[in-house]
Amino acid sequence: MTLQDDLAAGEATLAQMLLQYRVERFYVEEAALLDRHHYEKWIELFTDDTHYFMPIRRTVPRRELHKEFTKPGEMAFFDDDKATLDARVRKLATGTAWAEDPPSRTRHLITNIRIVEDDGAELVAESHFLLYRTRLKSEENQWIGRREDTLRRHENSFRIARRHIFLDQTILLSQNLSNFF
Amino acid sequence: MTADEALAAKLDTYVDAHRGEIDRRIFSDPEIFDLEMTRIFSRAWLFLCHESQIPKRGDFFEAPMGRDNVLVVRQKDKSIKALVNTCTHRGNAVCRAEEGNVKNFMCTYHGWTFDLAGELVGVPGMRDFYRDELDKSKYPLRQVAQLESYKGFVFGTFDPTAPPLADFLGPTGRLSLDMIAERGEVEVVPGIQKFVLNTNWKFAADNTFDFYHPQITHISAQAVGMIPTAESLDSGGAKTDEGKSLGVQRLPTDLDNIVMVAEYGHAISGPTRKAVEATGGKIFAWRDRPEAQAALGPVGAQVAGHPHVFPSAWITLGAQLSLRVPRSPSVTEVWWFTFREKNASPEEQKELLSAQIHSFGPAGFLEQEDGENWSQSTLQTHGTISKNVPQQLKMGLGRGKIRHEGGFARIEAPVNEHAQLWTYQSWKEWLKGTSWDDLRERTTPGEYL
Repeated sequence: MTLQDDLAAGEATLAQMLLQYRVERFYVEEAALLDRHHYEKWIELFTDDTHYFMPIRRTVPRRELHKEFTKPGEMAFFDDDKATLDARVRKLATGTAWAEDPPSRTRHLITNIRIVEDDGAELVAESHFLLYRTRLKSEENQWIGRREDTLRRHENSFRIARRHIFLDQTILLSQNLSNFF
Repeated sequence: MTADEALAAKLDTYVDAHRGEIDRRIFSDPEIFDLEMTRIFSRAWLFLCHESQIPKRGDFFEAPMGRDNVLVVRQKDKSIKALVNTCTHRGNAVCRAEEGNVKNFMCTYHGWTFDLAGELVGVPGMRDFYRDELDKSKYPLRQVAQLESYKGFVFGTFDPTAPPLADFLGPTGRLSLDMIAERGEVEVVPGIQKFVLNTNWKFAADNTFDFYHPQITHISAQAVGMIPTAESLDSGGAKTDEGKSLGVQRLPTDLDNIVMVAEYGHAISGPTRKAVEATGGKIFAWRDRPEAQAALGPVGAQVAGHPHVFPSAWITLGAQLSLRVPRSPSVTEVWWFTFREKNASPEEQKELLSAQIHSFGPAGFLEQEDGENWSQSTLQTHGTISKNVPQQLKMGLGRGKIRHEGGFARIEAPVNEHAQLWTYQSWKEWLKGTSWDDLRERTTPGEYL
């Protein structure tokens, strides 16, 4: 390997590290907005053509794993365009959305971030989440799962053009999904 | 007197129809829950699934029946059987998936194998260990006592003496299912939403008929346009904890309601079609089909409220069925079955699906707040003092003149609590454990509620 090859490889690695850093920064800033209830700021992170989707997961035998999740056009827990997502944010802001008033306490832990595709304008990023929530006196929930995002490059950051959320539960073990993932 | 009889004798004081008061212990007492499991959920016809979920031979869907789970299976001859999901050898579930397609069911403990009809067809070591002395014909999977479909809706009962499904449903129960079945050629959209609530199942059942709560419970959904609004409700002095009036908007449909009450505890309650259409609602176009008009009849066609097939199935105006599955006195699963019309255009299907996903279910704009109410109601049944504060169902009490017409018993009134009270009255009769004839007699509507 020549010195030039070495330098080129080093530059490629540095570029990868920089992209990884930017995506990670984007996710931790996003999590901070959610956990501080800054939903009006949070929704600005989504493109107008976004699709926010959480399918239903089913216990199936290994040979039928391809049928584990429902697909767009089938039933889901979330299947929102920007307008619906925006309505959720406005609903929380009314002060009369009783499932979130008193507000729940949440912590979004985002890890295992992998950039799996990058075509220049958009990239596909997978991340794992642990959303921990307590409500009222003693209610406690946690949701663990995987997010698959399409991130569109926007100025020096990103906008979320697609977020599909794959929860590690089949029968949902909480009385509602009044928080964002 | 057995313990069950002693408990049954107290039921008339627990559900006081004259005062419109319900004792809170019916929502928390484990003995009452046990009695519900044996005297309601082991006797009544229970909704299991829709035929469109299991179109092909070997397709199955696991459905709850009280504390048991049954595998609803499409047979080789296209008929349907419901098999209790427990191996006749050592008891394990013979199938641990929620739905799918199989050639047969094999218990993964020792390998006992059952065919689609539940017959024991395979026993490892039949010759070497059992010396061919085991009579396989004696160990089939248990089945429901009766299984029938109404227009594609599959029901089962564990009681061999239960009346035929159509008689159990009666005109009101059949009308309830027609609200989905008569939309055309309907099928279940893949994906049953299932979630767990810390509530007694009866709070969810009761809420089906409650058109008093939307204007407060769902005020935030109203504020973002999910529910039409009209002139202000008389606040009656209601204020927030900051002393502010919420400017509560009455639902425009609230003064024009129809209640139907029926044998075995079925009921429908809520606005009339005319009242809903006056708000610009166009969700009833399907009823103009001649077949639908004939099926609903002139009285049924006026209904736009919420039907409830006793004990645990609520049918929505938006072609969904919400099954409330009791798991313990304070834990209930809600299962949402969502329907579409096969011949509708892709745009129409998409529009309906969007409304279905965004109204109910755990992330629905409405049901997020419903779950909060039910879990709070349940929580307060446990306090030493709180549990002795009776539930109040006094709205319209004694004013509900019942008109008997076309096989229906109906009341026309503003928002009221007749159907809730009817549900509890009927529930009480089920728990007494009387014969089917007596049960029918005691749950036949009279002249007033």
